Amino acid sequence: MTSMLLSPPDLAKYPFTKESRDYIKGLDLKVDELVDPDFGEALNRAEQRVEEALLGGEVKWGGERYYEIEVLSYPVAIMLVASIDDDFLVRRYALAEAKRAYSLFRGERDPERLLEIAGSAFDWRAEDLASDASQSYDYALHFVDYLRNASRIRSDPWKLVNRLVINGMVFLKKDEFARLLSEEVRKHVHSTITSSPKINLPPQLLQRIARITQILTERRENMRREELPEKTMAAAYPPCIKKLYDALLTGRHLSHVGRFSLTSFLLNVGVDTEELIRVYTSVSDFDERLTRYQTEHIAGKKGSGTKYLPPNCDTLKTHGLCPRPDEVCRMIRHPLSYYRTKARLIRREHADAERA
Amino acid sequence: MLNVRETGVNFIERKFAEYYAETLEPVSPLSSFTQREFGFIPFTEKIMIRHKGFTAPEELMAFITSITPAHAYYSAAYYEDPEAPMAKKGWLGSDLIFDIDSDHIQTPCKSEHDYWICADCNTGTTQPSQGNCPHCGSGKLRSEFWLCETCLELAKAEILKLLDFLIADFGFQQREIKTCFSGHRGYHVHVDVEEVKSLDQTARKEIVDYLLGTGLNIEFHGLKKTHRTAEWLSMGPTLSDSGWRGRIAKGVYDFLLSATLQQLEDLEGLTKPAARRVVKNRDRILEGGGRSAPWGIVKGVGPKTLEILAMNGAKKQASMIDPVVTMDIHRLIRIPRSLHGKTGLKVVTIPFNSLEKFDPLKEAVAFPEGRLDVYATEAPVFRLGNEVFGPYQHERVELPMAAGIYLLCKRAAKDARRPS
Repeated sequence: MTSMLLSPPDLAKYPFTKESRDYIKGLDLKVDELVDPDFGEALNRAEQRVEEALLGGEVKWGGERYYEIEVLSYPVAIMLVASIDDDFLVRRYALAEAKRAYSLFRGERDPERLLEIAGSAFDWRAEDLASDASQSYDYALHFVDYLRNASRIRSDPWKLVNRLVINGMVFLKKDEFARLLSEEVRKHVHSTITSSPKINLPPQLLQRIARITQILTERRENMRREELPEKTMAAAYPPCIKKLYDALLTGRHLSHVGRFSLTSFLLNVGVDTEELIRVYTSVSDFDERLTRYQTEHIAGKKGSGTKYLPPNCDTLKTHGLCPRPDEVCRMIRHPLSYYRTKARLIRREHADAERA
Repeated sequence: MLNVRETGVNFIERKFAEYYAETLEPVSPLSSFTQREFGFIPFTEKIMIRHKGFTAPEELMAFITSITPAHAYYSAAYYEDPEAPMAKKGWLGSDLIFDIDSDHIQTPCKSEHDYWICADCNTGTTQPSQGNCPHCGSGKLRSEFWLCETCLELAKAEILKLLDFLIADFGFQQREIKTCFSGHRGYHVHVDVEEVKSLDQTARKEIVDYLLGTGLNIEFHGLKKTHRTAEWLSMGPTLSDSGWRGRIAKGVYDFLLSATLQQLEDLEGLTKPAARRVVKNRDRILEGGGRSAPWGIVKGVGPKTLEILAMNGAKKQASMIDPVVTMDIHRLIRIPRSLHGKTGLKVVTIPFNSLEKFDPLKEAVAFPEGRLDVYATEAPVFRLGNEVFGPYQHERVELPMAAGIYLLCKRAAKDARRPS
């Protein structure tokens, strides 16, 4: 791979590239220097990056700024996130940086540019096909690099078996290439944060940390409220739970795992413990005392005090409890994620219907 | 001289020991030898000796000759410390491996050579009486596989399909792919290339799905439905296409070339009238209307029928690998040139170009010399080397050493020189 000359704005656009990392290293920045008024702008921007991630889910392109500030704000933002050390924040920030990169990738006119970034930052083995007019694809990417990033995306078109694969290369459109590259950015940012050493921030920065933590707490609370519908939406139950529920209502036998899955699911989507016990005992000859004990145990009101989550899709499959996965199932790995996703879709449909 | 008190197992063990003593290098050169884990199953007990590491092939060899295992394995994975317990080994990577086992392929001959061993009296039988052991009446029968030409040929056909995938689609070089006969009922393929070593289970599952055609959707291979069949088919995959596109076309073409009406009717979802229309218009469909086949436009053969044909074609092109083996990143596989304790045959590495004419029943023979007098309890017809043996029913026979050892390993015979 020929080394590229990234222009200063490019360094700011793609702060995860080797060139940017070298540039930043060259500045030989010390933590204590961060409180220097000269770094005020970079600090502001760093804090803003994290805020944007928390509030909008995407870090915006700060191209209108001096590029040094934009470049510098990236490692500082990473430092802030790392020092807060919260899984949700780390994931959210990595994703938001990836989204930023994705929009910028898509905006690149020169197909070679993406290739250079992919090669220099992540050692991707890829070819540019754009010059070949007979091609309906823009890039060919080595299958190992493809799988490393695409196997997480769970949808039909991304399955390798549905791709054109020739001689070790997977054929992709530009947009798909950009998507995979942004997934690589996400992983890179995530691992940069989790592997960065714990540092003691100067006291002057604690105020900024407190502000971010405040937003983080609010955000998490909001998401929780937003994600799970307040009233239980039976229409949003996944097929596995529907089947178990039907079996229960018609008095059929439920295996231990089946019963645990159903109970823990219903309790997690807000069905009341008493109500659930009533259902169990009314439709069959369940011993009320035992049912109450088990249900309360799963609800976290007895025993260890932990509220149990239902098993994930893989486990349900292993136990033969996954009857017939539908469209939504393909996007998720856990029955509760199904519920959240489906509930959102249903709400959106309703909103559309009302508008129409 | 032979000890007359020697049991069948002792005898096999002694022959295995002789084999290993004469074979200087049982192990083909393995890359990163010292980072591999080795495992052995002895004759005496059924528990595997695992978590062994060796500094050099000679050391491994010395170990093998000292314990004479019935089965010998090495890990496809590399570890910082192969001798540590599983959780502490420090996984560094794993070769990409494939296993094609005729047990997983539906073969027409299975009913002819299925074979059971009684867990209680240890007798082998080809004819259980109502699911029970004909000798002691026990219900604890476990099935055994007899070497079978048809089964092994079918497994080889799957291997050839697999190799085509690995080279044409995945871009591996011939020299990077090693194919072995397992010494029993199938083949292993081993890809030892730096770039695949770091692939995780999710990524390996995608490769498995690719080879098995799992999750394949013809919409992404040129058969995305439109309202007009003609337009639909003009985008369809052709014989000259690469990857799964070409395979779908080839699968449809090959099937249609020889399919009987009955075979078409047997396809799930295809109605009898539709099947008849396909047979009647077979040539026109195959010609493809000027395109490189096989999507000729025929009235009455619409998208639904073509989709069924395409999915069926894809199924025939898939390679029936065992998904579990490929996804397991800690897998142990047989050491090349080691012996298989269930047959007395050796694991043979097959040069790429001789795969098609490879004859496992001949080239895997590890004991080409000598003869053995055995009392065969029950065995179907089988071939080994150039000779065909059996069927045997409670009779004393003198066999070439390899055939005798095979029956002893299968517990279908007793050493006739041993007083029972």
